[in-house]
Amino acid sequence: MRRQRPTLIAVSTLIAITLTTAAPTPANAAPPEQVNALTAHQADGYTTLAWQPVDGATDYQIERTPVDADNTPTGAPTIVGIWRPNRQINQHAPTFADSGYNPGDTFQWRVRARTGTTEQPYSDPVTATTTAPWGNPTTPGEQLRTGWETTHAAQYTSDTDEYAYTAAIDALSDRVRVVELGRTVQNRPINMMVIGHPTPAATPEAVAATSPVAINCNVHGNEPGDREACLIMARQLAFSTDPRITDLLSHTTVLIVPTINGDGRANNTRGNSTGQDLNRDYSLIRQPETTAYITMVRDYRPVAGYDGHEFGNSRAGDLPMLPPRHQNVAQPIFDQSQDMIEGHMYAKGAEAGWWACPYGCEGGGNVGLSEETILRNTLGLKNVTNSLLELRSSGGQTRPDEGNTANNRRRKTYSALWTFHQFLDYHRADRADILKARSEAIETQAANTGRLVFRGSRPIPAHPAPHPGDSPPPLDAPPADLILDNAPCAYKLTDAQYNGARTDGPGGVGTTVAQRIAAHGWNVITIGDEHYVPLNQPERGLIPLLLDAKGVEKLTDGERVYPTLTGRRNGPLTVTGFTCADDATINGPVTVRAGAALVTTATTISGPLTATGAAGILLADSTVNGPVRIATTTDAISIIDATIAGPVDLSGNTTGTDAPVLAGTTIRGPLRCTGNNPAPHNLGIANTVHGPRTTQCAAL
Amino acid sequence: MSHPATRPRHPRRSRGPHGARRALGLLLPTLLLAACTGTPAAPRTDAAAAATAPQLTGPLCAALPTGTDPGNPSFLAGQPVDQALRWIPTLTTFEAALRTSGVLTDLPAGTGVTVLAPSDDAFAATFSEDNWDDLMTHHTDQLRTLLKAHLISGTHPIADLTTAGTATTLDGVTVTVTRTGPTARLGDRADTVCADYQATNARIHIINAVLGPLPVTADGTGHRAH
Repeated sequence: MRRQRPTLIAVSTLIAITLTTAAPTPANAAPPEQVNALTAHQADGYTTLAWQPVDGATDYQIERTPVDADNTPTGAPTIVGIWRPNRQINQHAPTFADSGYNPGDTFQWRVRARTGTTEQPYSDPVTATTTAPWGNPTTPGEQLRTGWETTHAAQYTSDTDEYAYTAAIDALSDRVRVVELGRTVQNRPINMMVIGHPTPAATPEAVAATSPVAINCNVHGNEPGDREACLIMARQLAFSTDPRITDLLSHTTVLIVPTINGDGRANNTRGNSTGQDLNRDYSLIRQPETTAYITMVRDYRPVAGYDGHEFGNSRAGDLPMLPPRHQNVAQPIFDQSQDMIEGHMYAKGAEAGWWACPYGCEGGGNVGLSEETILRNTLGLKNVTNSLLELRSSGGQTRPDEGNTANNRRRKTYSALWTFHQFLDYHRADRADILKARSEAIETQAANTGRLVFRGSRPIPAHPAPHPGDSPPPLDAPPADLILDNAPCAYKLTDAQYNGARTDGPGGVGTTVAQRIAAHGWNVITIGDEHYVPLNQPERGLIPLLLDAKGVEKLTDGERVYPTLTGRRNGPLTVTGFTCADDATINGPVTVRAGAALVTTATTISGPLTATGAAGILLADSTVNGPVRIATTTDAISIIDATIAGPVDLSGNTTGTDAPVLAGTTIRGPLRCTGNNPAPHNLGIANTVHGPRTTQCAAL
Repeated sequence: MSHPATRPRHPRRSRGPHGARRALGLLLPTLLLAACTGTPAAPRTDAAAAATAPQLTGPLCAALPTGTDPGNPSFLAGQPVDQALRWIPTLTTFEAALRTSGVLTDLPAGTGVTVLAPSDDAFAATFSEDNWDDLMTHHTDQLRTLLKAHLISGTHPIADLTTAGTATTLDGVTVTVTRTGPTARLGDRADTVCADYQATNARIHIINAVLGPLPVTADGTGHRAH
């Protein structure tokens, strides 16, 4: 899955040398220490400067001078950038994304090498007019501008401006629908733009079928750079006639949440209005803002995501990124996320001149750890390929012209805009791999195999030299006391644990565990006054973090329930109560009584499986040699990565908010689904059915 | 720092162009946004205000909006003080705190006020993010006291404050104000980095340290992560 890393030999360098030696005017030849072949390529909010490397150069200085239409300087030349070898993976083709100017102005650039601290001659200058803010000022829709753009970055777009701007986009573009996901503690709307071409799919379930991507733009109120990029990108997606944009939107749905933390944004605080850091709350969802986002993930099922932040280390790269590292995240999701960062962003960053790098690059410190409360890890545990994005909050040594606040804000925002566009391109190009990783991850999770880790990260080795950054994030291995080798089958909660009042929300009022589990979308089986949360589910890695006594930031201490049925069993089996079969072989018919539940992993049943009025049936990584008939189930149905030799009949099941899941399963026989409420779905993982599929299951 | 729109061939200024061309580029999208969505106070180049352009002093002034940029000092001179503060991009922390706490709106109507406004860097060097969020969300009284340590009754140019030698802030504390070369030093702690912004019935002096009694909680790394 990992891309071959680019091994660009400097072909262009060879060509340049050839041309130089062929040149007939050696008397005027540039000294070899002088940078030559400087080019300036314009993009939204930045200019990519590229040049031929100079032998022996330690670094390069990039100089920018404002000029007028006659090429006359209107301001002083300023060193705006330092290119160092750790910026990019292919150092034979140096590039630098210059940003932090007023888009649309005209500049002259020069670049010079330094050998040690000795400054070599400047290159010949290149002059160009930069790209003005996107959108024709006379075309309806395109002419919209954010408050941030209008004020030349002196002010961030306010809350009311954001609502007006997104409403205007909604009104003027068929491609955009603005939905309100919820409200903040102080009752500000949390909006999401749902963007598709020619129109976005009509319902969350229909959007989910398009394998959508989600960008969370602003969780920390005092880190607003990504949010401004999101608002600009929304306008581009809504109105651009660029074939690339319409192609992207024809193949997926883009979900943009500009501001989940509107209260914190308005007050310029990191946390929400209660002081809660929302990026430490995505698993616990104590706050309405995080609950809104997690419920959105449940309903719209994004397959890939980005989470926008800013970072105070001025020595780090332009764009530190980090995948979901928690060790309970399925390997394919970690690998795919790393592929997105190191395979795609590093390579494209080296083309555009942006320095994407691992989180800890250049002294990142003790950051980038495994807390599942952080969105990147929560999403990984929900089988979403994703990355955190940092915008380095100050210019630092490599961008010395950012003492000007507006310049600094522009560099941050336009580097985020580049990243988000690259994210969409990655999803477009690697969608099949992303979906394969997701399928494998869900099947791996539902199989409920392997140890559970309550805190601890997968290692991220340093990127091989040449590499963008010097130091990878800290190892962060799990301590022994936070590892559980023998995973239970399920957690059992008392009614007090499940439905009891809580005090961990705003104003000392918390939603119940039942409500939070529902927001995560987990199957729960209730028998009598006990509530079982089986682990053979897609979010198996997240469940213990909230329900096990070992959980570091948990909701409650659930009781571990271990399998009651293992090994070989001959003869008919009647299931009463909560029965968990793991690594079992059952030879004979299985009947699940009304109000009872059957949970299986790595189990083979030879004989029919019949359940009428059961509380729940959850089969994963299992085989049934015989017909399966499940009717009038009350709580939960999930069949993931199973093989069923015989007809399957799901009828009259009423499982509340938990739609029956039938995913990644092979059925040798007909599949019939009638009268189920809600209707079954497949989580985006197709089933193989050797027989007719009828009514509610026709599309599964 | 409000230069006329001239174009020196050998400019000494270290910052970009402030020509009339930029003003036109600004005006157009402003009007369009206003027409379509409604918008905050739109920047204008006010000829009357420009005639009496405030004379700002301090090393940070060049990095702030100048000339005809949105948020330029001449424009701010015609704005209410709460609006003017929103236009100064290095005051996001202070401005939000004033707004959240309601300290400014509690001043008697028509009262002149002088604002000693610590920059965002000053706040970051003083309070950890956790501490600041805690102050903003849970300790309004402490926050208000902190902010009052940055407000003086009446509109005082910085030269008047240094001449007086002391000033009494609204929290009742008297701070020394001394001239140190081109800037002024307050309470032996803060220096003005851009002084003498004007707003309606107000003066704003940007300072590089936080005044008042609260302890320093920032650890100096600024590495608070995601």
